[in-house]
This record gives sequence, C-alpha cells and structure tokens, in this order.
Amino acid sequence: MARRSKASTASSPVSPVALSVAIPLALPAELTIYTVGELHPQWLAWLGQAAAAVPNESRAEIQAAAVEQVDAAGLQLLLSLQLALAERGRSLQIQAPSAVLRGGCEALGLSEWLQAQMAHAVQMPEGAQA
Amino acid sequence: MSQMTDADNSFIQEALPAFISEAQEQIESLEQLLLQLEDAPGDTELLNALFRCAHTVKGSAGIFGLDRVVAFTHHVETLLDKLREGQLELTPALSTLLLQCNDQLRTLIAQARDADTAETPEAVAERATLVERLQAAAGHADKDEQAADTAPVTDPAPSPAPAGSARCWHVSAAFGTETFRNGMDPLALLNYVRGLGSIPNLVCDIAGVPPLDQLDPESCHLAFELGLETDASRAEIEGAFSFVREDCGLHVLEPGATPEDYARLIEAMPDNPRLGDILVACGAITRAQLQQGLRTQSEAAAAGTAARPLGEILQSTAGVSATVVNAALNKQTKGKQRDAANAASAAAASGDDGRFIRVQADRLDSVINLLGELVIAGAGAALLARQTRQGTLIEANAQISRLIEEIRNGTLQLRMVPIGETFSRFRRVVRDTAAELGKDVAFEIVGGETELDKSVVERIADPLMHLVRNALDHGLETADERLANGKPGQGKLTLSACHESGSIVIRILDDGRGIHREKVLARAWERGLVEHGVTPPDEDILKLIFEAGFSTAEKVTNLSGRGVGMDVVRRNIEALRGTVMVYSDPGEGSRIEIRLPLTLAIIDGFLVGVGASKFIFPLESVVEVIESRSAISTPDTHGHNVVELRGRVLPVVNLRTLYDLETEEPERVSVVVIKSGAHSYGVMVDVLLGQHQTVIKPLGRMFQSLRGMSGSSILGSGEVALILDVNSLGEFAAGKQPGPAKSRDAANDGHKTLIRS
Repeated sequence: MARRSKASTASSPVSPVALSVAIPLALPAELTIYTVGELHPQWLAWLGQAAAAVPNESRAEIQAAAVEQVDAAGLQLLLSLQLALAERGRSLQIQAPSAVLRGGCEALGLSEWLQAQMAHAVQMPEGAQA
Repeated sequence: MSQMTDADNSFIQEALPAFISEAQEQIESLEQLLLQLEDAPGDTELLNALFRCAHTVKGSAGIFGLDRVVAFTHHVETLLDKLREGQLELTPALSTLLLQCNDQLRTLIAQARDADTAETPEAVAERATLVERLQAAAGHADKDEQAADTAPVTDPAPSPAPAGSARCWHVSAAFGTETFRNGMDPLALLNYVRGLGSIPNLVCDIAGVPPLDQLDPESCHLAFELGLETDASRAEIEGAFSFVREDCGLHVLEPGATPEDYARLIEAMPDNPRLGDILVACGAITRAQLQQGLRTQSEAAAAGTAARPLGEILQSTAGVSATVVNAALNKQTKGKQRDAANAASAAAASGDDGRFIRVQADRLDSVINLLGELVIAGAGAALLARQTRQGTLIEANAQISRLIEEIRNGTLQLRMVPIGETFSRFRRVVRDTAAELGKDVAFEIVGGETELDKSVVERIADPLMHLVRNALDHGLETADERLANGKPGQGKLTLSACHESGSIVIRILDDGRGIHREKVLARAWERGLVEHGVTPPDEDILKLIFEAGFSTAEKVTNLSGRGVGMDVVRRNIEALRGTVMVYSDPGEGSRIEIRLPLTLAIIDGFLVGVGASKFIFPLESVVEVIESRSAISTPDTHGHNVVELRGRVLPVVNLRTLYDLETEEPERVSVVVIKSGAHSYGVMVDVLLGQHQTVIKPLGRMFQSLRGMSGSSILGSGEVALILDVNSLGEFAAGKQPGPAKSRDAANDGHKTLIRS
C-alpha cells in the first residue's frame, strides 16, 4: 500500500473548501488511507477557520453523501475530527451519510457513534468523555 | 490472503530459503532458551525471548503459507504465553514437551524446504499427540494454576470438545500504529473475522485516537472488543489476525471465560482505555450497570461531594468482582513502566540485528580462493621486482604486499565464527542423553567465544558429538555408582576451547570413571587388535580406543558403543590437520584434547631451506632460532639429534636425514625451535628465508603418506614448498628420544598418560 511521507502531506495545497465557514465540510468520494494524508491538513484548516469565523457556533456540519470508499484509516480521521471538535465545544453533524459510510461504521462497531453524530439533539456521544 | 498472483509466488520461491535459514536459527535459539530456562526458571526476559522466537517463526511461516507450521507453532505459542504470563510454571516435564515440540518444528521447517513432500500418517499422528499434550498442559493452567507442576504432560487429557454448537469467544484486538502503513485495514480484517461466524457485539475503542491536530493520519490508533460466535478453533481465530500479529495486541478468550480471565485481559491491554468501556466491552458488566455507575458519579459531582473513583463506585453499586476492577486500576500505573521496558529491550534487539549482514558462504569461499591466487602472484611480482634491483619498484611492491597481507587477515577474519554456537548445541544432547541413561550431569561450556574458521567448525561438530556422547555413556557413572565411590552424585562434563600457539584446542573433560587400561587391553586382545598376551606400552593402550571396531561398553546402547565412531572421530580430526589425545586417570575422569589449525586456507609461514628444498613452518609455532654447528653431534640414522638450549636438552630433527636429501651439509646450520602443544623441539635447517604468506594446497595422493607433512604451497618463484606438520614432527622428535620413556613410568604410578595419535 502506498506510503506517504509527512513532508509531502504538509506541503499539499489547502483545498478551496476550507476557505469559507459557510460551506460545510464535504467528505470526498474516497475516504481511505490513500487520501487521509491530503485530507488531514485540509480538515485542520477548515477546523481553524470555522472556530475563528463563528466562535459561538456549537455544531459543525459535514456532507457525507459522496463517500463511495471507506476504510479504517478514513474513519479514524473522521473520529479524530469529531474529537477535535468536541475539545472545542462543538459537535459534529454528519449529513446524509452514504450507504458506504454507514456500512463502514457498522463494520467497525461505530454505528452508535454515527447515530450520535447524526442526531439533531446534541447528546453526550458515547465515545467522548472529557 | 487467498489468491496469490504469479509475482507473489515467484517472490515466495525466492524468499523461502532465507525464511528457512532464519526459522532454523529461531528454532536453535528456542532450544537454547529452553535449556537456559531450566537453569533459571521464571526468568521473564528468557520467557519473553522464547515467546518472541516462536512468534517470529509463526508469523513468517504464515506469510509463506506454511499452514502446518503456523497451526503447530500456534499451540506452542499458546503454552508459552501462559508461561510468560506466569499462569504456568516451567516444570522439567513441560520443558521436555517443549523441546520435543521444537524438534517437531524443526522437522516441519525441513519439510517446507523440500516442498510438497507428503507426510506419513505416523508423522501426522505424532504431531497430533504433541498438540494434545500442549493443549492439556495449557488447559491445565486455566483450571488450576496452583497445581501446575503435577506433571500435566504425562497425563494427556482428550482434546477440547469438537466443534459442534457455536460458542461465543471474546476477542480483544488493539492494532499497532504501523497497521495502515503496512497495508492492513482493520475494517477488512473485521469483515474477514465476521466470515468465521457472527459478531453479536462489537465495540470500537477510540480512546487511543488523538484529536485531529495531534493525529498522524497514517498511524492506527484503533482497538476493538468483540464477541464472536463461531465454531472455529482458537488457531483459526488468531490466524485471521496473523498478518497484523506483529504489532497487534491480540487476546482471545475462550467461551465461558471467568472474571479472572477478563481481569487478566485488562492487565494485558494497552493503557488508557477508560475503565467503564473495558468492563462493558469485556462483558464483565452490562452497559446498564455502567450507566448506573456513571450517573452515581455525576450526581456525586453535582452534589459537590468529592467524586469517588469510578472503580470504587462500580464495585459498590454494580457488584463487579474486585479482581476485575483492581486489575483495571492497577494497569494504568504499571502500563507505562512496562512499555518503557519493552521499548528499551526492543531497541537493544534491533541494534544487535543491525550489526550483521548475511553473506552466502560460497561467495566468501570464492573470495578466499582468489585471495590465495593474489598472494601467490604478489609474491611472484615481489621476487621479480627484487631481481630488477630498482628501488622504487621494490618499494611499490612491498607496499602492495603489505596491503595484500591486511586484506588476507581481514578476509580470513570474515570466516571466523565463535565455536560457542556449536558447543551450545550439545546442551540438548547432554540433557537428553543423561536423562535417557538415568544420569545426573552438569554441563559446562568454557571459552565459547573462541573463534575458528567456519569450515573447521562445521566439520568438527560430528566428531565432538560422538566424543560428548561417549563421555556421557562410558565415562560418567550413574549417581549411585558415583556416591558409592565417594564422588558427588552429579557428574560434570566440560567442553572448553582456547587458542594455543596458532591452533585451537578443544577439550572434553569429564569426572567419570576414566579409562580402565585393563579393560581396553582385554578388549583389544579379544578383537584381535593386539596379539593375545602381548602388552603394548601404556600410551599405546589408550590409543587403542581410536582403532576401528573397538568398544568397551559392556552392553551396547543406542547412544554409543556400537564400536563405530572413535576411529571415524580420529580420521575426521586428522583430515582437518588436527590431532586428538586422551588423558585419563582411572577413577578420576578423562580428558580428550583436540588440537586444530585455526584455518584451512592461508597461514603465516616461516620459510626455510634445506639444500635445494624449501619447507614452511606455521609462524605461530616458531619460538626462536639458534645458531648451531653441525658438528655438535652426529644424528642417528633416523635424523634424531639433541642440542643444549639454556641448560635443557632439546630434541632436534634433521630434515636432511629424515627426508634423505642428497646435498652436502653446510658448516653452519640453524636450529628452528618449534613449540608443539606443551613440548618444544628443534629442526635443523640450512638457511632461513623469512616470513611467508602461505596458501595451503593439499598434498598430492603420492605424498599423503609422508610423515610430518601437512600440505604444500607455491612460492612466488613457482617453486613448491612443503608445509611441515609441527605436531607429527614433534611426535617424531620425541618418539625416539634418548633416555627413559618418561610417560610410561608416570602412567605406571597412576599419573597422567599422554597419547598422541
């Protein structure tokens, strides 16, 4: 499996998606070990801008309909994003997860976690504890 | 996993020999570790190393699809794991079982080399028996840890109930950080596990996942707790994880595991998962019980009272057994220390690995052959340079010669291996042989770090094996016999090695009954080796044990005593230009001394001339050179002579007389003083030609019967020089020495007798 160095991921350009907080983060078609290296800095940038632009917002929206491929590395990245948001007092709102994403979560025992991220009412997610 | 491409197959074909040689090394160290553990039971470092070895064999066998090896090693590993975790004690019986398993493993690996060999039903049955005994031993530990040493292996229980109804296993898998980078996907792996049966509950432990800003997205931080309903065996379940086993914390609990088992699981898991999740995931308590606990905790916090630790709350409200909770609480503190220790030992191990490279022996051999040619050509060039009398050319050649010499030393060093590796192989031999003979023997190795040429090491192993077995069988007595003779019950066998004037000396010492000269003589008469009624000198009596068809054992055992061997031993050693000697005090034990040259290829020689002939002594054996007048004394017809050296009588060999060289003796001659073993003697020569790098070539057939020669060498000028064998020449010098035969008198007094063969 392809192996990317950290140096190359750090230098990859920040996606335009991250430029505005108004635009929710859209998950790519491929959420796997092959893309996590590129996605990581983009998501971090999005995270920083979202925090700066709308400091009082408690939710962060994610469009998840496009996901066609997923693996444990991709889901771990998503988990990690949720944890980072939780640290900042926000909750993740996963919109319209694709069947693939649901299936992936189920296979990894993350179904309940996904449910928690989809619910409108903010609950204490089982995976997150201060 | 299932489908292999052609590329994979060809890769496997290429890599298999490397795997086999590595596996053989692992098996070798397994054996050594097991034997060391017998002396130091409970040594955790040894136990860990033992487990690592077995694990490495299993892991790499898995990659090569050697299912028999994987399946079998798995059972061994399970037992080793129990030993490592302290659930089981290493008893002698268990140790024997593991050693037998190791032999089985060795056989399996050997079969892997000659692929597609069909197994005989007996072999399959034998392995099945071993597996049963392993399972019995391991299962025994589960049921009763305290009574582990009541010989679990002698009483093999039937193998666990055959697969029938689906049973619910508990699997705990913490994937290593390198999992993704190694091309593994836990998601795919869990789907594969799902194929074994069904997973009624699965919890992803995300406590290890850092938030986005601290995450390396290609490192894996996931861990899973799952229940697995399946008919599959433990091997099959663990086999699913075989590709990630290297850095995966995997624990498989059998259906119906007790709270104590879960407690151990908690102990073994990587630190920082939250206590509550562990307990729920383990099934020790239900989620409802956990939430109850959580509520109590938050209520207490809200009420402003000091929050009690979660563990305490769980214990008091949910009735979780104390062992489970304590295990979970303890591990947070212990975990970090343990990790640090593991990291340190892993770093040390990898440091060791990095210092070695693997080179095929034949490549090294071809380099050494070339080097031999280079040495000869270099000597020829130097000679020609001297003839031109051009200072600069001679100087340049001298420089080249120095460099060649350095290359030679360095290259020969490459072939040097410590003999300890060969020695330690005998630990097992001694252990098993002594057990079989009902003798108690302590085995000691001295000077295992002594180095000698690899080809010599390889060829000395068999003769040594025979001598060791012989000492155990014939030399050492049973404990009762020893006690009756006023000796300690435990016999002592020592294998030692050291360097001594250019050769290596290997000694096999035992404190057994020694060699009875009367018995040897009686047998020799009986076998017709000596004419009946004739009593040869004492030294020759001991030498008889190296004669073909000789055996003193009163009953023939399957270990030794078939009467083949000792003569083969002597022949093998002599083929290596070595000698073997026996020293023995009846009742006190015996000592066998093997003297071998360090290398078979190139030596530093000392070149001398007698008339037109050139001879070479190994430089290490030359002590000094003294001037002498040939008229001092006239040699006898065999070339024997003596000179006085600092008040001592030194036997001298005259090569001219010995080899019947038809040249006039010059007026002044030199005597080269040679040290051979504990003795010195002189050799009378005409001229000293100095140090010479000698490439040893074998003697032709015609000359092999010549006395005192060990080989030949080609000089730079193209002349042939004969290499003298200092030991046999010394024997010749001492053999007909004037005066009383010292050794014979000494032997009659019961003192040590020296026999040279």
